[in-house]
Amino acid sequence: MSNGGKEMVGVRPTSVPRVRVSTAGGWAHREALQGFLWIAPAFLYLAFFIAYPFFMSIYLSVSSARVGSPDSHFVGMQNYTRLFADPVFWQTVRNSFVFTIGSELIRLVIGLPLAFALNRSFKGKRLVQGIILIPFVIPIALSSLAWKWMFDSLYSVINWMLMHAHIIDYPWQWLGEPGLAMWSVIIMNVWRGFPFSAVILLAGLTAVPQEVIEAAKIDGAGPLRRFHYVVVPIVRPILLVGLLYSVVFSFTDFSSVWLLTQGGPYNTTHVFGTYAYNIGINAGDLGMGAAITLFIFPFLALIVIFMLRFLRRE
Amino acid sequence: MAAHRFWRRIKRDYGPYLPLSPYLFVVLFPFYWMVITAFKRDRDLYNLETAPFWFKEPPTLDHVKLLLQGTLFPTWLGNSLMIGVLVVIITLLLALPAAYALARMRFPGAQPLSTAMFLSYLIPSTLLFIPLSQVVRGLGFIDSVWALVIVYPSFTLPFCTWLLMGFVRTVPKEIEESAQIDGCTRFQAFRMIIIPVIVPGIITAGIFAFTLTYQEFIYALTFISASANKTISYGVTSDLIRGDVFYWGSLMSGALIGAIPVAVVYAFSLDHFIHGLTAGALK
Repeated sequence: MSNGGKEMVGVRPTSVPRVRVSTAGGWAHREALQGFLWIAPAFLYLAFFIAYPFFMSIYLSVSSARVGSPDSHFVGMQNYTRLFADPVFWQTVRNSFVFTIGSELIRLVIGLPLAFALNRSFKGKRLVQGIILIPFVIPIALSSLAWKWMFDSLYSVINWMLMHAHIIDYPWQWLGEPGLAMWSVIIMNVWRGFPFSAVILLAGLTAVPQEVIEAAKIDGAGPLRRFHYVVVPIVRPILLVGLLYSVVFSFTDFSSVWLLTQGGPYNTTHVFGTYAYNIGINAGDLGMGAAITLFIFPFLALIVIFMLRFLRRE
Repeated sequence: MAAHRFWRRIKRDYGPYLPLSPYLFVVLFPFYWMVITAFKRDRDLYNLETAPFWFKEPPTLDHVKLLLQGTLFPTWLGNSLMIGVLVVIITLLLALPAAYALARMRFPGAQPLSTAMFLSYLIPSTLLFIPLSQVVRGLGFIDSVWALVIVYPSFTLPFCTWLLMGFVRTVPKEIEESAQIDGCTRFQAFRMIIIPVIVPGIITAGIFAFTLTYQEFIYALTFISASANKTISYGVTSDLIRGDVFYWGSLMSGALIGAIPVAVVYAFSLDHFIHGLTAGALK
């Protein structure tokens, strides 16, 4: 964060003698009030559409609120105790972690070689970069349709390819088989997210000065050691922030799971978002639904604390 | 010897492209598959005997016709574009002054408020869609496109403000100082100096607000039920599936045509886009 305002004209008039000392009309004049006025619309908006609903969901989670019945009352921890006794909820928690960790790891593993491949100049680099990012730009609702069709139970083109390559000998039920369905959801999520990982990694790699690499080379460091001792330390802060963003978005994902499996088969792909939608909106139990989504919060808070600490240290 | 030279030439000319080709294949195949599906005749589409990668029968426009005449697709497209444009305008109107003040003015709480702005971007819609459905109902906007117009800035505003703050900081303070000496008010300096200089930032923020809005799904799914009020993402994924019947040809044509507006915006602003993506992590 820059110490921007500190050098502002008129704030410390003695240090800027060439400017007439601000009295009436100077910008520092009532700057506090002015500052609040400038930010007021944005923060009032956020207070009403982020902070207020957030606290409302805490209230909902301890109430008997249902869709369409306005008279709700306080029920204490009842929604939470019901949730803890619900095996599907625990399955959801586990699925959310499997989905997040699986997607993020594979994205990184796939994104890193791509970032290296893009980290040199060649003809058509801009075009290639543009194409690679397409999955990230196209609305997931639309591209998930293509995946749903490619994973179709009868006409899956992926099965066609794998069977003709003799990799599998019967058509797999990508979205219908517990276990496999989670992989299908992860595969699509990796497809959509690895361009982002690669771009962040690439931004990190380009931040490494070429001279430093050359120096390490002259000192006799091989590619692996150069990567470990030179590239990683420089790239780490950028990667970490990118990764944390990415983790938050995977962990709270709704659309890709909803559109492919709606949480099925047998709840094996339910994540927080989809299960909360099923309970809170489809079944109309707003209280339970809110309680489920609130379980995202401790996890988010951990990430945020980690991020702020880290950013402060860097 | 000749073979050796041959491989060296291959490596020199195609070296950078070899590791990229599997990526390009994986990225592009689903889109290729969409195109093929959108224009195949049903009998061809559901033929398991032969290789499915090309047309066995002449391509057809039937699926596109069903999409355009049998569904409200044009309405959804119109809704999405209108919502996108309005959200961009609202976002910029709120974000520009906030970004300027947070980056340049000195007032108590400026620092924690900047952090709050950054963090509110991390509050996901998954956490808010249930209470927001009640807020929207309370405002009388349930099942209306206006519900989306007023709610969508909640995820575009934090990101765009953050992005614009970075751009405001790059404007040298001296320019503003001289404007002040010339008797400009703060607002005049903002309007006539800052805004013109950060136009690239405004474009980047606008592009992001538009694409994020256009991609949004869960709020549309939660707040909207009438077909005529749906957005592209929601309409295409709901109205072309009737019971167990998936109209795959029309679904794919809907996905393709629906993707065009973002693809166009994106193609014309690739550099802005990449800059915006990395800015969050780098600034």
